[in-house]
Amino acid sequence: MLGNISRLAPMDDTPNSHELFLFLASTAHDMKNSISVLSGTLERLLVDASPQTESAYPQMAHMLYQTKRLNDNLMQLLALYKQVGKPEYPFDMQPIELGQLVDQVASIERVLLKSRAVELELDVDAALIWHLDEDLVVGVLSHAINNAIHYTCDKVRLAIRELDGWLELRVEDNGPGYPPALLKAGEIATRETAGGVNFLTNSAGLGLYFSSEVAKMHRHRGRHGRLALENGGKWGGGCFILRLP
Amino acid sequence: MNAAATPLLSVAPAAPDQVDWADKNYLVVDDFVGVRQLLRESLRSLGAKNIDQASSGGEAMGLLARVRYDVVLCDYNLGDGKNGQQVLEEARVRNLVNPSTVWLMVSAEKSVESVMGAAEHQPDAYLIKPITEGVLLTRLNRVWHKKQVFRLIDQAYAEKDYLRAAKLCDAQIETSRLHELDLLRMKAKLMEKSGQPAKAREVYERVLEQREYQWARAGLAKIRMANGEFEQARQSFQGVIAENRYYIDAYDQLALAYQHMGKLEESCAILERAAKLSPNSVPRQRNLGNIALKLGNVPMAEKAFRKCIEIGEYSIMKTPDAYFGLARVCGQRNDTKEALRLLLVAQREFGHEQPDIQLRAKITEGLVYHESGDYRRARKAGDDLEAMLEATAERPDVPTCLELATLLFAVGVKEAPVELLCYVIRNNHDNPLLLEDVEKIFDKARMKEEGLAMIHASKKEASNLMNQGVLLWKTGKLGEAVEWMRNARKAVPNNQRILFNAAQILVSTLQQQGYDETLSNEAHDILRHVDRLLPGQQRFAQLMEQLAQLQPVPASAEGADPRPG
Repeated sequence: MLGNISRLAPMDDTPNSHELFLFLASTAHDMKNSISVLSGTLERLLVDASPQTESAYPQMAHMLYQTKRLNDNLMQLLALYKQVGKPEYPFDMQPIELGQLVDQVASIERVLLKSRAVELELDVDAALIWHLDEDLVVGVLSHAINNAIHYTCDKVRLAIRELDGWLELRVEDNGPGYPPALLKAGEIATRETAGGVNFLTNSAGLGLYFSSEVAKMHRHRGRHGRLALENGGKWGGGCFILRLP
Repeated sequence: MNAAATPLLSVAPAAPDQVDWADKNYLVVDDFVGVRQLLRESLRSLGAKNIDQASSGGEAMGLLARVRYDVVLCDYNLGDGKNGQQVLEEARVRNLVNPSTVWLMVSAEKSVESVMGAAEHQPDAYLIKPITEGVLLTRLNRVWHKKQVFRLIDQAYAEKDYLRAAKLCDAQIETSRLHELDLLRMKAKLMEKSGQPAKAREVYERVLEQREYQWARAGLAKIRMANGEFEQARQSFQGVIAENRYYIDAYDQLALAYQHMGKLEESCAILERAAKLSPNSVPRQRNLGNIALKLGNVPMAEKAFRKCIEIGEYSIMKTPDAYFGLARVCGQRNDTKEALRLLLVAQREFGHEQPDIQLRAKITEGLVYHESGDYRRARKAGDDLEAMLEATAERPDVPTCLELATLLFAVGVKEAPVELLCYVIRNNHDNPLLLEDVEKIFDKARMKEEGLAMIHASKKEASNLMNQGVLLWKTGKLGEAVEWMRNARKAVPNNQRILFNAAQILVSTLQQQGYDETLSNEAHDILRHVDRLLPGQQRFAQLMEQLAQLQPVPASAEGADPRPG
């Protein structure tokens, strides 16, 4: 898993590069603490405020959105660079009740959705149990919803169902759909023989790459998870689709 | 259920018994004040009122010693001093938390320890930062429900009534789908603990029919290893590591398999890899040090023992073995002065909790002198050891006895090691592997013929003691049989066959003559003792179940059994 990242990250085995990554990893942890506090504080301010009482409400909402993006990126970087210079992650599969999974995602997104006046529609078989790495899948889904909030008009839909022995998790929006460049990036990031993502020219690359790696870590009887980006779905907008065996 | 167009409401099925999180006592441990405040706010939004905070492991221990908490949220990285895992271990070992206490370990990233599977003290769940209220509430509820499902099972487990615990697992599996795998895992463990590996294997296979869980794979491999199928076990453990290179327990087990196969180099290499992935384990560093010492890799042994002492500074798991090992390292470098200093430290640090520490320190002293070529002082240590053995009837555990006898022969002491080896035989008269080891020690001391004669005589002594008791029992003389076995246990205190038969005779007496608290306690004491000597025996589990069934049922406990029908 994540075998090809060494090509993406220029590094060698010299003691200096080891120390550099050690330093980066510890800095990332430190930043993560700060960002947790920042986004937590913003959420608390937004919960107590409304556009009527607070003139800076839209700016605060935007700050929260950007903070969440920063946090997503850091979480993904930390997961990818778990061991210094060794991009692997201690995968931890468990049976999870989907109702509990969705509860967590919805609660993570609650304040951001409200502050951007976006409605989240849930369509989930709550009692269904599936075997997955809960932290990774919650991370991927909330990242996808953060993205959908950027592309949507005013609605986002999280739909999860079992289909032909697969678990299909869809995040759809009612916006104009993903731009062609993003669909193309999605295609490259999820390609079977991954050619890698160009992180330098494509800002969406890291999130897509991370999500597709998470999909691939989920394996069962010779099958592994897949990621797809398309336009369509219930409202004809962008669709982020994660399929797990 | 479809929850379309009901945004932001819980879609999880409403639990029949909702938990009231407002009235609980909370402890938040994090070295970063901002995170503590954030967590406190999150808990307050769940209604919590009683929230204590600690900024270090030491401060947390102080609070845990004074207050019984219902929920502990503890960061793994706490800066200098104890880390979160060490706080958890010490709190559990010192009984500062209740079985019902929910312990959530918090970290900035997924930790290797969270998937290692078989650590003795696992938190109830791991949380990754940033922690949001919804995630916190979901995980709290889940752990609480799991604890409800496991309450009676854990109780039976704590009472070592493994067969009753297994039956309770079966009953819960019928009704609790979400926790089915946890229950199966527990059931497999119970079958192993009660000496029924074939049944444990069935359980693991049932799990693997559903999904490829590495703990079930590793469980099957452990059964193979216990069966002596070391090569198959080795392959399975390697397969587990290939699937998930963070499944640390498989490394420790693989190292053990190599050891059984006599491949110490390979065993050492695997432990070294495991110690790199997860360095903060006292037992792992100790095992690595011991095996490196056996291989003569002095630098690696030194590194491992030093690391072991360093981690141990803040850990309740700390062990004198690391000091003894490091003393041997010093001895091999001819630095006997430093070795003796380490032995003094070990006696000062562990003297109050480990009664045989002086004896073990003296053994190490003898080894250090012997290995550094100072035969005069080695002999002096041997004489000291002989005097220590004469002063008491207590004997250390079997590996220490064998090590001691070997050393005493090597430095030229004759009578004490012979007495020691006869003691070992009397207490293990039906263990052929051990008899072989003892034979080898006699052989090496050039006492082959005398040794064989003494082994024979000691075996006969023990079996006569046992057979006479069993004969009395079988001829219906229960009172005499009980008395006979009491004397037999005085003469041979650690013989498992004699202990099991003594317990069996007491159980028969209770079954035939009615419940008697004194006799029941005596049987319990014997069984606890034999379980300490060698855990995981079927006869232990059976006798414990029979004893529990003889116990008069207190009126209040009736109806608490969830078994259907």
